[in-house]
Amino acid sequence: MEFNWPDEDAQFRGELRDFLAATLPEDFDAFDMGARERDNFSRDFAKKLSTRGWLTPAWPKQYGGLEQSAWQQLILSEEMVGHGEPRTGQYMCVNWVGPAIILAGTDEQKDYHLGRISRGDVTWCQGFSEPDAGSDLASLRTSATRDGDDYILRGEKIWTSYAGVADFCFLLARSDPEAHRHRGISIFLVPTDAPGLTIREIPSVFREGTFNSCVFDEVRAPEAWRLGPEHGGWPIIRKLLANERVGVARYHRAETFLLKAVKVAKAAGIMDDPIISEALAKAKAACDAARVLVYQVVDERAKGRQPDLTAYVYRVAAIRCEKLVYEAALRVQGSDSVAPDSVAAGQFQHAVTAGVATGTLEMQLNLIARDIIGVAGA
Amino acid sequence: MDMTFDDTQTAIKDSCDRLFGRMAGPARARALGHVGGADLALAEALEEAGFLDLFAEEDAGPLVAALITEWAAKAAALVPVGARTLVAPTVIAGALPQIIAVCDAAHAGPVRYAAQADVVIQIDGDAAVIAQRGDFTVEPVASIFGYPMARISGLTGVRLGAGSGEAVRRWWQVALAAEIAGTARAALDQTIAYLQQRVQFGRQIASFQAVQHRLVDCHVSVESTAWAAREAAARGAPAALAAGAAITAVECAQRVFDETHQLSGAIGFTTEYDLYLWSMRLQTLRQECGGIRAHASALVASAWT
Ligand SMILES: Cc1cc2nc3c(=O)[nH]c(=O)nc-3n(C[C@H](O)[C@H](O)[C@H](O)COP(=O)(O)OP(=O)(O)OC[C@H]3O[C@@H](n4cnc5c(N)ncnc54)[C@H](O)[C@@H]3O)c2cc1C
Repeated sequence: MEFNWPDEDAQFRGELRDFLAATLPEDFDAFDMGARERDNFSRDFAKKLSTRGWLTPAWPKQYGGLEQSAWQQLILSEEMVGHGEPRTGQYMCVNWVGPAIILAGTDEQKDYHLGRISRGDVTWCQGFSEPDAGSDLASLRTSATRDGDDYILRGEKIWTSYAGVADFCFLLARSDPEAHRHRGISIFLVPTDAPGLTIREIPSVFREGTFNSCVFDEVRAPEAWRLGPEHGGWPIIRKLLANERVGVARYHRAETFLLKAVKVAKAAGIMDDPIISEALAKAKAACDAARVLVYQVVDERAKGRQPDLTAYVYRVAAIRCEKLVYEAALRVQGSDSVAPDSVAAGQFQHAVTAGVATGTLEMQLNLIARDIIGVAGA
Repeated sequence: MDMTFDDTQTAIKDSCDRLFGRMAGPARARALGHVGGADLALAEALEEAGFLDLFAEEDAGPLVAALITEWAAKAAALVPVGARTLVAPTVIAGALPQIIAVCDAAHAGPVRYAAQADVVIQIDGDAAVIAQRGDFTVEPVASIFGYPMARISGLTGVRLGAGSGEAVRRWWQVALAAEIAGTARAALDQTIAYLQQRVQFGRQIASFQAVQHRLVDCHVSVESTAWAAREAAARGAPAALAAGAAITAVECAQRVFDETHQLSGAIGFTTEYDLYLWSMRLQTLRQECGGIRAHASALVASAWT
């Protein structure tokens, strides 16, 4: 065990920082933009990353990657979220949509999709959750019914981020209605302009464009859209969502907001107030705890193992730090926190969705309990 | 001592329930949220029914005023009931306008209802300053946290004597506690009802014991807040009880916000579902009047020195 970054990793981080400093406005935060503006920005930015190979650096060289290590992927994620995540939804394509296609795609699918993703030409959305299938994802009911060589897709996906601007939807649908839960699920790569697919924005308490509903009303899906074996989508998902869980270096973004709160506290001369210093210090310690826990996850990935327990533990720690940073910002800014440009208002969405999006807090707790206590969590 | 309502209190509760049932509630709050501003029609109806002027009434008094504040918040009313029924009567004699805002010069943040207020009561050190519309400038702030908000600047007005600032603070803390109690109660009720019918893993989510315990902890926080506010009001807002009620309330607001949202899942964040109508307000209320820092020092100073 040792905690040193090798020179080439430190150098990669330095290059990324220089590039981001030169490319992005100061204090950039993609979350401040509306959905369309954000999407346009990220497509532009992705192209700039792509020309340096930094859009998909972890991918195999034959698909436009640099075969960088899991550690360098972490560095990339930290630097991106630490600078307002200029890739926005692109991180999904890079972290798991592309890898899923590399893992399970046909040659045609690889040819068609991977170049588009690694060049930054397309964005994707994730069609998993349904009105009646949230934390119990395996109970999903959107159906894919065989019709000759095609499938007919019927059902509704909900809370789909980026659907309003995405080119493709990575869709989970039930192809075998008889099979038990996760055994009957297939993956489809669906263009969002497919006839019969209606996307509607669901208004939210956050900025516009956060959520969408995607209704599949008899969408005809040729077999060529199916990724991986028929009824065999779940194992692919399970493997790739381990990437999703650590895909966003939440602790790093949270710490960026914490630093903004510190700046405000210093300017106000309240750093010595014990209530302020305790809140700031606890938040900082929680960010550090999440950061050091993610190292185990990355280490397992770097060694070719599937990180499960370590990933769940990390997620819980990351959720904690998001909330503590929000609380610290509230302490610092007090009643000014309700203003839309306050640090707390900026961190609010991250703090309150951290335990819900990409697998709820309770699901992580149940999985950890199963592992460390051994009595079924639910 | 008697912890149940007497006949007068029951009668007031019944007619308040009817009024709020008719004129307030989530649909009304949602509609007003789109246009911004306060609910002037409801304020008018409350005043006409006499519900805003019970502070000095012999058979009602501050306790009933606090209860009405709590019920109004539970009904998602967009009227500054607490400012009018609990805070203003302690420093302004005679007839009061319907929309009153309360703020503290020591905290420069946006103020609830400032842009709609006919009168602003500002704490300035140990004095209260009473300013009429025109005696201050407002700059609206587009807050997502549930109320019409605006920054106040250049406030002038009538400065009351020493100690008036302290009186305003104490009654403001009681009003806040009553508002948080009603708001958190509604958010929690909504969440419990939702989780009783929401099925995942073949079971109602509310049937999982881990979930039940968290909901029950919220319930205890809401009960603590409601009763602390009632006692503080009934006893005339003594400093330690008023600050204590505010502290209990602030912790309740944080807990109930966090748990109702975490346990509702994604639906809690859409404005097509009602939770946000109450929950987002909790984020504003917990910061008001100086938040936990100010309440804590007020309690310590009054209870043990
Ligand atoms: C900002 C945001 C973005 C999102 N983006 C996407 C997206 O792009 N694509 C997509 O498919 N989905 C997306 N989602 C949806 C997300 O995946 C779901 O919200 C999540 O899976 C939880 O489902 P639910 O909201 O239906 O909550 P529910 O499943 O209804 O759960 C409600 C609460 O009950 C708890 N609970 C459930 N069962 C148990 C149990 N056994 N024990 C203890 N507690 C339990 C849950 O943990 C949760 O806290 C997004 C959500 C958010 C908030």
